Amino acid sequence: MSRPGLASRGSEIAGLRALCAVPGELRETRLDSGLTVCLIGNRQAPLVSTALWYRAGARDEEPAHAGVAHFLEHMMFKGSGRYAAGEIDRRTRQLGGSNNAFTSHDSTAYYFSFSSDRWVEALDIEADRMAGLTLDPEEVDRERQVILEELSMYEDDPWDALDKAVHLAFFGGHPYGRPIIGTREALAATGPGELDAFHRSLYRPDNAVLVVAGSIGDDALDRVRERFEGRRDGAAARRPLPPASAPAEPGRVERRKGDVARLLLALPSPGADDPDYAPLRLLLTALGGPRTSRLAAKLVEDDQLCVGVSCEITETVGPAMAVVAAELLPGVEPERVEARVLAELARLLAEPLSEEEIDRARRILVADWVFGVERIHQQALAVGMAACLFDRGYPERHLGRLLDCPAERLAEVAERWIRPRQSSVTGWSLPE
Amino acid sequence: MVVAGVNRERLAVRSRRVEGAPVVAVRAWLRAGSRVEATPGQALVSGRLLAEGTSRRSWREIAEAAEGRGASISSFGELELSGVSIDALAADWELAVDWAAELIQTPAFPEDRCAWAVRQAQGELAALADHPEAVTSWAFMDQLYSPHPAGRPPQGDAGSLGALDPDACRRFHRQASDAGVIVSVAGRIDAEAAERRVRERFAAFTGSAGLLAPPPAPAGAERRRQRSVPGDQAHVFLGCLTVPRAHPALTALRVLSVVLGSGGGLSGRIPHRLREREGLAYATHVDATAGAGLDRGRFMVYAGTSVATVERTIESVLDEVERLAADGVTDAELEEARAYLLGREPFRRETARQWADLMAAAVHYGLPLDSPEWVLERLDEVDREGVDAAAREFLQPAGIRITIGKPENEA
Repeated sequence: MSRPGLASRGSEIAGLRALCAVPGELRETRLDSGLTVCLIGNRQAPLVSTALWYRAGARDEEPAHAGVAHFLEHMMFKGSGRYAAGEIDRRTRQLGGSNNAFTSHDSTAYYFSFSSDRWVEALDIEADRMAGLTLDPEEVDRERQVILEELSMYEDDPWDALDKAVHLAFFGGHPYGRPIIGTREALAATGPGELDAFHRSLYRPDNAVLVVAGSIGDDALDRVRERFEGRRDGAAARRPLPPASAPAEPGRVERRKGDVARLLLALPSPGADDPDYAPLRLLLTALGGPRTSRLAAKLVEDDQLCVGVSCEITETVGPAMAVVAAELLPGVEPERVEARVLAELARLLAEPLSEEEIDRARRILVADWVFGVERIHQQALAVGMAACLFDRGYPERHLGRLLDCPAERLAEVAERWIRPRQSSVTGWSLPE
Repeated sequence: MVVAGVNRERLAVRSRRVEGAPVVAVRAWLRAGSRVEATPGQALVSGRLLAEGTSRRSWREIAEAAEGRGASISSFGELELSGVSIDALAADWELAVDWAAELIQTPAFPEDRCAWAVRQAQGELAALADHPEAVTSWAFMDQLYSPHPAGRPPQGDAGSLGALDPDACRRFHRQASDAGVIVSVAGRIDAEAAERRVRERFAAFTGSAGLLAPPPAPAGAERRRQRSVPGDQAHVFLGCLTVPRAHPALTALRVLSVVLGSGGGLSGRIPHRLREREGLAYATHVDATAGAGLDRGRFMVYAGTSVATVERTIESVLDEVERLAADGVTDAELEEARAYLLGREPFRRETARQWADLMAAAVHYGLPLDSPEWVLERLDEVDREGVDAAAREFLQPAGIRITIGKPENEA
């Protein structure tokens, strides 16, 4: 493929930059209650999605009650002032909508999607369960059992089990190393009292961001205000995030499961709003993105040692980790794959990315963004995550850093973060 | 083999402008897949090889061209179809159409890439065998469908894959082309210009648009089957065959699906009972029209539960199926399910990718699936008598098959 000239490259970058905004018209307001409200007016479809993000995640837990953030996420569907257990799902179904929730280390998010003529019920539900939960002891016991089944499901999955072991080894006692689902012991020790305390201290308007996106009317903010205006005493009691603790030396984790070998090599990474994050993400895309990336081309397409390889980087407030993952073909020696992965990581330092590789990675990431916010609920979640963890300008700032990053800066970032022989955890799930 | 009586378009083209994200989705689907393959895995490998080299370019040149524009090309072979799906930025819509035409019409089936596609599929089977839910679902599908090809994984097995070579792939591609091609383009594009370009680029398409011989019918199997799986959790599948996509009872079965538990969240009789009332499972899935296509779909319930609660889980599901067959649905359930399905319609048409898939599926099944009005009319026509009759006819408790994946140390 021929390389474009400088002027042409400049206009191509400008073309990509035009794709980097959140679709629709975004307005942000802070209510007297402290709730941050982001409204995205976007009439691409007759739909409205809401996303309520709490700054409350696994990093906010007492270690003895690890899993309480995720447990509470389940209990948010099990009874509040106006909605009995199961009623939220029934109401959602009656209205032809959908809902879901997820917990991370930094936050917990709840979202609904409805046709634009009936979305306000989502506000009623969110306001009601923010105000307080029933936390009936029998419901809590039953839901604990459900979570234990969820835990068993993850433990049986070879990738999930390896990921959990690598997290623990990489982060040690840091809260980012804590399994979000918790442990059997901690779940047994967590009941209505702990759930209520977590809810009361962190599920408050001044600790949350509400996004309403889609075909909303001019009265959308009034509708939010009517339901979320009451102030609460005190302030959210968030636990401070301890300083980063990347491994001081290379570590290893080996477990035996299944018949196929799987590699998860973890490297330190900066927080998602750190200026190094976007360049590192670009490097990892060029390293372990689609087929022409260095690792995919080498390990999958050319040498044919692995079924697949990938690189991922966590999107967290504090420094966290990036991973190289590989699933091996039966009979391939794990040492051979590990050596080649390390060689490619070293090559990233010795042989910087070409302009062509950089351009390709940029386009892949911009297209990922465009496809990733194609749907209304994706737009609500993207803005909610940004405003909850950073600020609403985060997505454009991040994409701008991807586009503006020169080759020299990539080399500098690679030098700083990709040092597997100094700081890493190599995790293997090997055949039994 | 092509059956006499050619009665459909050699090249069917659909295009549509979709407001919203500046993207385009192009689908080029050949109307044959593993349901008509001679060797298990043949459709999957042949389909994947479409992106592995053409008469003009190598796999690497194809991938570099696509990735260099931020586009993704996936070529595939599934039960009923094989072909190419391309997602790209809207500015690149012409390139995307050209790529689809090149990959469908001039695949090279290089020997080295064929060998690698075979090894990769064998590797995927080995990797999937480490997932207990996948292993249990293979046994369940075999129990329901065998000897119909839906009863086996799309990869076939390691042995059948090993028998494939470029000639086998060429033969399948010829056979698939003879069944006709559907090309759909959706996105922020000029729809008329897109259709013109597709017709130009596919002008030399040589398929003959015949109907393929149907696959063998499912034979039925024992009522209960147990499979040893890795891990500590047990996996339970229950179900029976229902109807093809074009069957008049399909909409009634969609309603039953929602009543039983496919309606999102944990609502519906079976998730409510298994998870909300009895705390037996985290993961539960219910569907009464799963896989409904040219051939019969299935009613299926999945639950991941502990070994100690397998029998209780089975009893609870069977009890709900029996209650449904005996008492039918309530008026309130019917109205809720109808409201849910009506409410979901706009979400099925939100993106360019969804529109491209819907338009192509509409051609493939000969049903106006992409018309919201048609879907709404079908839902309006459903009444309680029709739903109860569908429950009695297609969800008979005596016809339910059960597959249990039990941990190796417990089996």
